[in-house]
Amino acid sequence: MKKSSISIVKVLVLAVGIACFSGCSNFLEQEPDTILPEEQIFEDEVLIRSVLANFYGRLTNVPNTDPVITWGQHIASSYQYTILDEAGRSEGGPDVMQNYANDLWRVYDYELIRNMNQFLEGVRATTALDEESKQLYEGEVRFLRAWVYFNMARGMGGMPIVGDEVFDYQLGDDVTALQYPRSTEAGIYDYIIAECEAVSTMLSDETNTHSARANKWTALMLKARAAVYAGSLANYNNKMSSPIRTPGGEVGIPADLAAGYYEQALAAAKDVIDNSPYELQLKKPDELERNFYEAVSVKDGNTEVIWARDYIYPGTGQQVNFTTINIPGSHAEDIDRAYAGPILNLVEDFEYKDNRNGDIRIRDNQGAYVFYDDPLDAFANKDARLGATVILPNADFKGTPVELQAGQKVWDNGSWRTVVGQPGESQAGRLLTSDNGPTRSNDQYINKTGFFFRKFLDEAAGASTRGRNSEMWFPRFRYAEAVLIAAEAAMELGQQPAAVSYINQVRERAGIQPLTSITLDDIVQERRVEFAFEDHRYWDLKRFRLAHTVWNGVVNSPTAQQYALFPYLVVAPGTPNDGKYVFDRLVFSGSQHPRNFELRNYYNFIDLDWRNSNPKIVLNPFQ
Amino acid sequence: MMMTMKKYMNMLLLPAVVAVSSCGLDNYDAPESKLLGRVVYQGEPVGVRGTGEAVQLQLYQDGYELRDPIPVYVGQDGTFEAKLFDGAYKLVTRDNNGPWVNDRDTTVVNVNGTANVDIEVTPFYTVSNVQLALSGSSADASFQVNEIAGGRDIDYVMILVGKTSFVDDVSYTARMDIDDATAGSTVTGSIDLANNTDFQSGGSLYARVGVRSVGKDQAIYSQVVKLR
Repeated sequence: MKKSSISIVKVLVLAVGIACFSGCSNFLEQEPDTILPEEQIFEDEVLIRSVLANFYGRLTNVPNTDPVITWGQHIASSYQYTILDEAGRSEGGPDVMQNYANDLWRVYDYELIRNMNQFLEGVRATTALDEESKQLYEGEVRFLRAWVYFNMARGMGGMPIVGDEVFDYQLGDDVTALQYPRSTEAGIYDYIIAECEAVSTMLSDETNTHSARANKWTALMLKARAAVYAGSLANYNNKMSSPIRTPGGEVGIPADLAAGYYEQALAAAKDVIDNSPYELQLKKPDELERNFYEAVSVKDGNTEVIWARDYIYPGTGQQVNFTTINIPGSHAEDIDRAYAGPILNLVEDFEYKDNRNGDIRIRDNQGAYVFYDDPLDAFANKDARLGATVILPNADFKGTPVELQAGQKVWDNGSWRTVVGQPGESQAGRLLTSDNGPTRSNDQYINKTGFFFRKFLDEAAGASTRGRNSEMWFPRFRYAEAVLIAAEAAMELGQQPAAVSYINQVRERAGIQPLTSITLDDIVQERRVEFAFEDHRYWDLKRFRLAHTVWNGVVNSPTAQQYALFPYLVVAPGTPNDGKYVFDRLVFSGSQHPRNFELRNYYNFIDLDWRNSNPKIVLNPFQ
Repeated sequence: MMMTMKKYMNMLLLPAVVAVSSCGLDNYDAPESKLLGRVVYQGEPVGVRGTGEAVQLQLYQDGYELRDPIPVYVGQDGTFEAKLFDGAYKLVTRDNNGPWVNDRDTTVVNVNGTANVDIEVTPFYTVSNVQLALSGSSADASFQVNEIAGGRDIDYVMILVGKTSFVDDVSYTARMDIDDATAGSTVTGSIDLANNTDFQSGGSLYARVGVRSVGKDQAIYSQVVKLR
């Protein structure tokens, strides 16, 4: 058996060898049938569109990174939500994360930029498109290119700007001509702003299905966001006791440029507010909570979201598992559930309707428990966005309540005794610990924070199964951001009445009291609760230079430590409080270290490999 | 079954043969020479945070195509150590890293067998006359803060107690921050450990004090003292 197989191999080798060496046919010169050369692509609009679609698909992860580096927070990677102060990871044992990585969310994708420039070259030369379509394609790709630069800039500061150049290299060429130095930090924001302004006149001003493609308003939103980022960097970096700069300005924007950036941001945001087809969606004024959920997390008929990463079923890789892995156990349709949940830090940052201090009333002035008939009552009169962002204990999801009970508080000889069981366990006919948790164990699939996500949790049937997953979108720009950028820019320019009227639009939709004057703290707070899980928090605290004070690494710091809120059933037979609920505020067991954002984290480190291949790249501070 | 097993065993032989017969030409021996050093101010080692690779120096060697520095981690007592090949190296502090005035002057080190080097830095503040002791259930500290370089205020001073000999602003079991300390004066403080589980457990306790100057990424510390 063995012998014969070897001889077959030998014969084969011989045959192939003969075929190779005696080849007078030109079979090695075949046209490839699985690769389309560039000339062919730009002869056909369908192919042009599929290349464009490929660009949209490459805006989530940095290629060739292991573990994968994402472009910031995104529903396709739930872990990214747990490293700030918004959510905690409930799966398995504690996360030992303490410091932020030097390459956290570091976008560096000149391959993508090169492909985009090849596309621009092809589209400009093609005869397959009319002039109008050419404008649209060019505008769309230049917008996407500006978006790539923006994502690089917010992590690293100024980076090489290569324009429309498609680099070509033949063996022996002088590579120094291909080595571009880093731009200044102001320079890269200027480039993004100028590109967005240029393409805003090329792009369509109409909406498109599920806001999946860029249009004029997307470009103006990026212009507004880039300008307000640059303005706040110029402003707050220079207010630090030792501003973070490099001698060449690759990091650090001069303070005198701040006002100009704020004016550009205000103008672009106003354009979107006054002229775009989007609005602060208010279709259910009587149900503000539901209204906010729909404004952010429901695609059909949405009038608020300007640009989103859309997902669709069916289609390979076109669904997202956020709902599958994070759904409450009681509502799960598959084995996955409860991977992560929002933390108390976020919940308490939502104000009460009439009180700006959002702390949950757990104890009275004497330090005794506050008793609630229903756990949900503890959150009554909160900002409507809270219930639309977080599933609170005993709140409704898809028509049935989500039970969260950590254990029982038993009144025992004048003091409270905490009794905790296994998830799903009862004692004397009364529930001890809910199937959902929360617990402080290392169990998988059991909540540890006391809350579940609601924002981006898909209500569609089957959306939490592994086989299907969800079609939930991830909004990148929405109208509320234009309003809050306008509020921030107006506030920084000293235009209080305008700033107040903008911020109050957002607050009114949330059902909380209007403000009469605002400071930076109000902007930070409003953006935190409005845009929770939307990839704003980290970048905001960075550009306001607040991250190292909020995430100061101090054990039990109210802002750096993650906290959980555990509901308990009161067991005190014969007293009026029997059967009511009380809460304990606990350090979140799933991540015991406080968040520690150090000065070096304000800018990603430059990968030394990039500098080895391009010695003109200077390193970032602290590196 | 046995046949297939045997077949796979034969396949395993291949990498084994490759491994054994690989030639030694392209392999270096591991570096054996040692660079030992201290970060000092006026001959005294500077106490820093020793965990989390917080304070680093960088070693460069000229004459190669790539210019990646070798990171050298400074321990909490201000000492550092690196195993290297013999040769000439350039040693610099990392940009803006450490509780001292940023100074990126190069120190040339010739390593041949063993080399010792002191990196002289100018801290913004130092601590002296440090007294740390446990009395009953409280950790008492008394020390003097001295301004050295000037130009930066004190952000805060801290008294830290840890359950291992690694104590710093991230690794501790009890901590007290004092915001109104002034240079030249004696700072005193005591931490009540009565409710601290690491105190109650009766195990070892260590302590040190530190000063953080405004706008610097690191604090300067005293040496670690064993309390019990």
